[in-house]
Amino acid sequence: MKSVFKNAGIVVLAGTFVLSGCSGNGNGSTNQANSPDQEANFNKTGLPIVNEAVSLTMVSPKAALAPEYSEMEIFKRLEKDTNVEINWENIPDTDYVEKKNLLLASGDLPDAFYGAGFTDYELINYGKDGTIIPLEDLIDQYAPNLKALLERRPDIKSSITAPDGHIYGLPSWEDNNLGTNPFFHVINKSWLDKLGLKMPETLDEYTEALLAFKTQDPNGNGKQDEIPLSFMHMQWCMDIAGIFGAFGLPDNLEHRVVRDGKVIFTAIQPEYKEALNYFHEKWYKQGLIDPESFTQDAAQYLAKGKTTDETLGSYIWWEVEEVVGTERGKDYALLSPLKGPNGDQTIGRSNGGGPGRGAFVITKENTNPDITMRWIDEQYEPYMAAQIHWGPLDIVYEKDENGKLVNLPLPEGTSAGEFRQKVAPGSGGPGVITFEDFGKVVDMEPRAQQRAEDLEEYYNAYMEKENYPSIFFEPEELDKINKIEPELIKYVNTQRGKFIVDGGADEQWDNYVKTLEKMGLNEIMEIYQTGLDRYNANLKK
Amino acid sequence: MNQLLKRKSRGDAWFDIINYILLTIIMLLVLFPLYFVLIASFSDPNYIYSGEVWLFPKGFTLDGYERIFGDSSIWIGYANSILYATLGTLIGVAVTVFAAYPLARRNLVGKSAIMWFLLVTMFFSGGLIPTYLLIKDLHMLNTIWALVIPGAGGVFNVIIVRTFFQSSIPDEMWEAASIDGCSNTRFFWSIVLPLSKSILAVMVLYHVVGFWNGFFDALIYLNDESKYPLQLVLRNILVQNQVNSGMMIDVESYAAKMRVTELIKYGVIMVSSLPLLILYPFLQKYFVKGVMIGSIKG
Repeated sequence: MKSVFKNAGIVVLAGTFVLSGCSGNGNGSTNQANSPDQEANFNKTGLPIVNEAVSLTMVSPKAALAPEYSEMEIFKRLEKDTNVEINWENIPDTDYVEKKNLLLASGDLPDAFYGAGFTDYELINYGKDGTIIPLEDLIDQYAPNLKALLERRPDIKSSITAPDGHIYGLPSWEDNNLGTNPFFHVINKSWLDKLGLKMPETLDEYTEALLAFKTQDPNGNGKQDEIPLSFMHMQWCMDIAGIFGAFGLPDNLEHRVVRDGKVIFTAIQPEYKEALNYFHEKWYKQGLIDPESFTQDAAQYLAKGKTTDETLGSYIWWEVEEVVGTERGKDYALLSPLKGPNGDQTIGRSNGGGPGRGAFVITKENTNPDITMRWIDEQYEPYMAAQIHWGPLDIVYEKDENGKLVNLPLPEGTSAGEFRQKVAPGSGGPGVITFEDFGKVVDMEPRAQQRAEDLEEYYNAYMEKENYPSIFFEPEELDKINKIEPELIKYVNTQRGKFIVDGGADEQWDNYVKTLEKMGLNEIMEIYQTGLDRYNANLKK
Repeated sequence: MNQLLKRKSRGDAWFDIINYILLTIIMLLVLFPLYFVLIASFSDPNYIYSGEVWLFPKGFTLDGYERIFGDSSIWIGYANSILYATLGTLIGVAVTVFAAYPLARRNLVGKSAIMWFLLVTMFFSGGLIPTYLLIKDLHMLNTIWALVIPGAGGVFNVIIVRTFFQSSIPDEMWEAASIDGCSNTRFFWSIVLPLSKSILAVMVLYHVVGFWNGFFDALIYLNDESKYPLQLVLRNILVQNQVNSGMMIDVESYAAKMRVTELIKYGVIMVSSLPLLILYPFLQKYFVKGVMIGSIKG
């Protein structure tokens, strides 16, 4: 009840503000709040949403290759169906964060942010000060698709609900479990065969294989140009974090794992130290690690797989072909987790992985929150959600006889990723494609299917049972985390590189741990633990 | 070479030879990166990254240029950049010179107060958000004016030009002219400006380069892609997103993005820096003279 008043208050307020200084694209929506004409114009159910066209302004990031959203087929169709005209202000995704902060700080607000990418912190803070409005009542009244989804999937509902009980941002999710382990470990199978080695099963066998790659000229060009192992230090899907599992404790980008409901910081554990010592002694010292692993960017990394002579012995990337190309991909094979010196064989489970929470927010400037909610709800209908994420019917998809969306052939000379960017907002956009929808509503892309199969075949059996879910923290907790964590993780990562390259983990260990404690490690681990306990208690409710 | 050696003492000759060698090395150091960008723009990106390109293009391809020339947004950006640079330079140089000349004259009342007033702005600025709000309230958002007006008359430039006037236009000249019945305005247009070609050229160059390379203002104030200057268009194409867990979601777009980027990166650098490379030699002769004179005698 309280929030109904709040909404009414906001509507009146916005009416009195009437967009002081409209942003030059002539969108001062002159609708008087709650006038009778407006009531009559708005249809609570069915399409169109409004009889007379109403326009809303929305700010949204877009990919570099994409046209303005007003030019995008999918939005043209939406406008035709709903009679709601959107004045898009598209910001290139590279500059979006900067510009979004500026708009918010200066109070130069659109009606809504689409594909908004609001962080938890922004959701809570701007929710508190009324810059963005709570949406739960609007969802209740005007969003049948979304409401049904949240009823069907209480986990999504609890995930997008802020600690104060309001929903400020709408979810975006492709619920396909593909991110559980991004660190696919790849080895050059054809070289192994050539050198008469079997697929390594233990870490030591793997090390021997790398050494053979380095010294025995498996590509046969008479030069020692082979790169036994290349990776990208502390990067999603390219780091050796998974290999740490051979020592009993897999690492990940946050250095944070959960076992039996207890949060563990990996980078101060003995297993982690043992792993670093091994990588330094056995790998780096023997020249098995590509020294550029700590500095290269993705472009350089990907180019290494495509050199004239095959030079890459082993690498980490969650898709074999992306690094070495389809032709050469046949020479490479995935490795299951390796058995460590003490017989450990485990792989990590990525943290987070629930729905995104900030895909769509409505600001206080919006005089038509009901229309806006109905408009966005269209995109939570499963078929529409799939089209928003991957592209529209007749362009990317067609319906087969069971009514499932199946991919049409791509236009000549474009890649799927490139093409999709041009026709759909993509993964940051609103809309949820649930696990049940895959295969029923929409085909998983072939590449995604491949990845799901690979995970099943090589990794799922060895995977950690728990992970750290994406928890909606209290603002003061977030404050503390944001203050401590970036510096701390930076230090840990730098040291991790140093210990692998220069060694000395044993001598410097105490000092290193002390430094971390000084930086506030215990404080944030405590917050993480409290957050997790709270989350688990909520699930049991 | 022989003649050269005859006319000079041995030491001098050696000095010359070593001098030329050093200068050649320095020239190569400066030229090679440019040259590398040129050949890289014709090469297959994978060869560039594996370090196989360094003297000649490898895996010769025109794909990059095809994409660039086929992309209308780059040309729109070009046109916009030329427009902003021209208009912005005109306004900027005019404001700078008009501000500097009176400040260079001894008989301006309240000169030091005005100077202080200007100097303060060099050290204290309103900050990003207040500036944004100001531009917004002036209704300049999403218009060309937001780019060309707010930055006009930079204090630093005003000081340079003022110093130039003080040091190269003697007061006696004004006295002589005014005895002949010359008005202030006439003096400024017919005598001061023609004598100040070098500093004007410097100012023009500063402004053009500034506008040509500037992207931040455009980023903040413009919303329509059709108004983006070239640098912003390029930035949007080139700036790479880090690979992050967002990649989890879209399996392919990262690689696709990257391929395009790598393909056109060097070509785009060529295309966008060409105008300035052409402009520099023409203004260079004034450049050395103007800046030096402006810098001596505070």
